[in-house]
Amino acid sequence: MTMRRIGVYICHCGGNISDYVDVEKVRGTVESEPGVVVAKTAMFTCSDATQQEMLQDIQEQNLDGLVVASCSPKLHTFTFRGVARRAGLNPYEYTQVNVREQCSWAHTDDRAGATEKAIRLVRAGIARTGLTVPLDPTVVQTVPKALVVGGGIAGLRAALGLSDIGIAVFLVEKEAQVGGWVAGFGSMYPHEKNGQELMAHLKGEIAKRSNITVFTKAELVGKAGSFGNYQATIKVGGGKAGAAPAAAAETIQVDVGSIIVATGFDSYHPEAGEYGYGMEGVVTLPEFKELLDSSGLGAGEGRGNGHRDGHDSGRDDGGAGTALTYKGRPVRSIAYIYCVGSRQSRDVPNANTYCSRFCCNAAVHTSLEVAAAAAPRTGGGGVSAGVRQYHLYRDMRTYGKYELLFNEARDKGSVFLKFGDDAPPAVARDERSGRLLVTVADQLTMSTEVTIPADLVVLVTGMVPRSNEELIKTLKLPVGKDRFFNEIHPKLRPVETVVDGVYICGACQGPKNSAESVASALAAVTQSAGILKKGFAELEPLVAKVDPDQCTWCGKCQESCPYDGAIRREQVAEGQGEGKVTGRVKGRGKEVAVIDAAVCKGCGGCAPLCPKDAIDLQGYTDAQIKAMIEGLAKEVGQ
Amino acid sequence: MAVAVLNPDLVDMVRRGSHDFNASACMNCGACSAVCPMGIQLLPRKLFRYVLLGMEDQVKENTETIYSCLLCKMCEVNCPGGVHIAENVRSLRHFINRQVFRL
Ligand SMILES: Cc1cc2nc3c(=O)[nH]c(=O)nc-3n(C[C@H](O)[C@H](O)[C@H](O)COP(=O)(O)OP(=O)(O)OC[C@H]3O[C@@H](n4cnc5c(N)ncnc54)[C@H](O)[C@@H]3O)c2cc1C
Ligand code: SF4
Ligand code: SF4
Repeated sequence: MTMRRIGVYICHCGGNISDYVDVEKVRGTVESEPGVVVAKTAMFTCSDATQQEMLQDIQEQNLDGLVVASCSPKLHTFTFRGVARRAGLNPYEYTQVNVREQCSWAHTDDRAGATEKAIRLVRAGIARTGLTVPLDPTVVQTVPKALVVGGGIAGLRAALGLSDIGIAVFLVEKEAQVGGWVAGFGSMYPHEKNGQELMAHLKGEIAKRSNITVFTKAELVGKAGSFGNYQATIKVGGGKAGAAPAAAAETIQVDVGSIIVATGFDSYHPEAGEYGYGMEGVVTLPEFKELLDSSGLGAGEGRGNGHRDGHDSGRDDGGAGTALTYKGRPVRSIAYIYCVGSRQSRDVPNANTYCSRFCCNAAVHTSLEVAAAAAPRTGGGGVSAGVRQYHLYRDMRTYGKYELLFNEARDKGSVFLKFGDDAPPAVARDERSGRLLVTVADQLTMSTEVTIPADLVVLVTGMVPRSNEELIKTLKLPVGKDRFFNEIHPKLRPVETVVDGVYICGACQGPKNSAESVASALAAVTQSAGILKKGFAELEPLVAKVDPDQCTWCGKCQESCPYDGAIRREQVAEGQGEGKVTGRVKGRGKEVAVIDAAVCKGCGGCAPLCPKDAIDLQGYTDAQIKAMIEGLAKEVGQ
Repeated sequence: MAVAVLNPDLVDMVRRGSHDFNASACMNCGACSAVCPMGIQLLPRKLFRYVLLGMEDQVKENTETIYSCLLCKMCEVNCPGGVHIAENVRSLRHFINRQVFRL
């Protein structure tokens, strides 16, 4: 092999590295490695000036390899690939060496050791670069269509967003109707929007779009193909939305470029006896909201500044005296118990340790509905004379603008009592009066134990993940410790998953109110559009490659591969391989393994299992790894 | 501490003294107790809790305290919750006059 011409740049990171690694010594030691033509140090290799210097060196010195020894590849891989590209060098002929996280930061107590380790790592990087070949990204054509799984507020809004920018949508909803939770609600916080009306509006919009196809009573049961070009299999039990349900299930195949998962949440279901659940009069928040709506009290007319959205009040009695009843008995006192099924102690099996986020707001808002319906409409005071409301909370989390709801609730006469994490309220029934009694030590009254007589106890239940095992299996969705779906990065990549082209949004990725669900849905739309509108996507070429001359098809690689469809069996004419899979000719001949570069993730799991050593990982070939090990093992003195 | 039995109507009985009674706006921060020149520990936040929760006996037991307030409003100008403390104390006195002193 002809001698390579490699440039090596070692970074001070302004002291971050050079305080603990003798960068000058590293430079002096690696300068004589075979193939090294340029060896320099720089205060900041990522600075514009140094990038410019590298670019010049590459061009003037005719470099065919680049090694940057600085920080983690997570930070600057793309920076230095860009330098190579601009200089006319193939970006895959560059190697990043991490001497900050792995040397200076890890060994602040041992300057000599940190320096020695840096020398070894840089040598390994040079050895790897000595064996690189130019690589090109795999280009895949993308299909300008998307699949949305789940027709709640997040899924419907995502479908409309995609439709708006000209991406055709298939929406899969497992229930007979789209709408999710919101379609079942009356008045919602903030702004007293009526959930039913809101969803009716969205459904109406969707019906108008010719590029949205809705499947109800349907589920996604299969996914094949690769990023940008998935074949999704949908099992439909009923007909299209609105149509009469068909009896037999049928299976439909659609081609889509991306998949947005918006499967939402379930409400926590209390155990029997948990805060008296199971006793008559102890209900969950969703059950209570239903009760309010069905008695005409939760429609939102009683509250706010008189009117909303041009709708006139649906109630004609002026509100005064509208009685809230439960099983025929009037309700005069309500106790809300917060954080039921949320923020559980780690000692509880499968504890939900998270805060459900929407429920403080929803419960406080609901109590305002009650107050508005029960209060005489005299204007001033606005104090609920009819219904006493006691809120037993752990911490009040009416965050951001919703704090105003909390203030308003206190204004309108709701009483708030705070209980400690270790002293939950107890619910019992008074045998004589038949009323419920809630006993709690109120921290706001010197932990005095008080007993509240209540006609209704509302358990403010949190959000839990829906059980969706089939979908998780089909899409290989990453599930977090809390059993909600996981994004790649909560701040920077909040709707992408580790599965390329599969996005998550809404409450399926963790507790969210409807505004937050919609915001994430629109983020998923943007991410999808980013790849689908361009028409093609470029994928990393760092994937496995089979040498058809060596391969005799034993199938071991396919068995080991975690990705469906990454490795397939094909016939090639004898002698047509020449080390290039693309050169294969179909027809009679031997059977070999062929790797689909768009599906393979380059995990490398197959390579060591091949008995013929026919598989190499591009960019990390066996020869490169061996050379790197030699570079690492070489005595530093040498 | 013994379990207090609540009289849910207490707050309305006290409120009869003044429509301005707004103890529920109190967030229990304690600023009032800290600036009180009389060093009245119980006023007003604890007392307000008693009223809100309907702990009638505890309110009546503190008749003495309710009358030792100077109504100087030192607390009121410092209250971040906008509680009309002096007005609320007046309502309480009204209540005590009727319920304890039978005036
Ligand atoms: C009692 C209560 C009161 C609330 N009040 C408010 C409020 O006042 N204001 C507010 O902003 N938020 C409120 N929320 C929160 C609000 O309900 C959620 O933010 C919102 O429903 C989340 O929308 P989503 O589309 O992510 O999920 P969902 O509403 O759960 O919709 C998910 C949809 O996906 C479908 N689905 C699930 N799995 C599959 C599958 N495998 N295949 C196909 N389809 C599937 C479901 O059938 C459902 O239609 C409240 C919640 C509760 C429980
Ligand atoms: S939002 Fe409030 S009620 Fe819900 S879990 Fe968080 S703290 Fe508890
Ligand atoms: S200063 Fe105001 S808000 Fe704070 S405890 Fe006193 S009355 Fe309550």
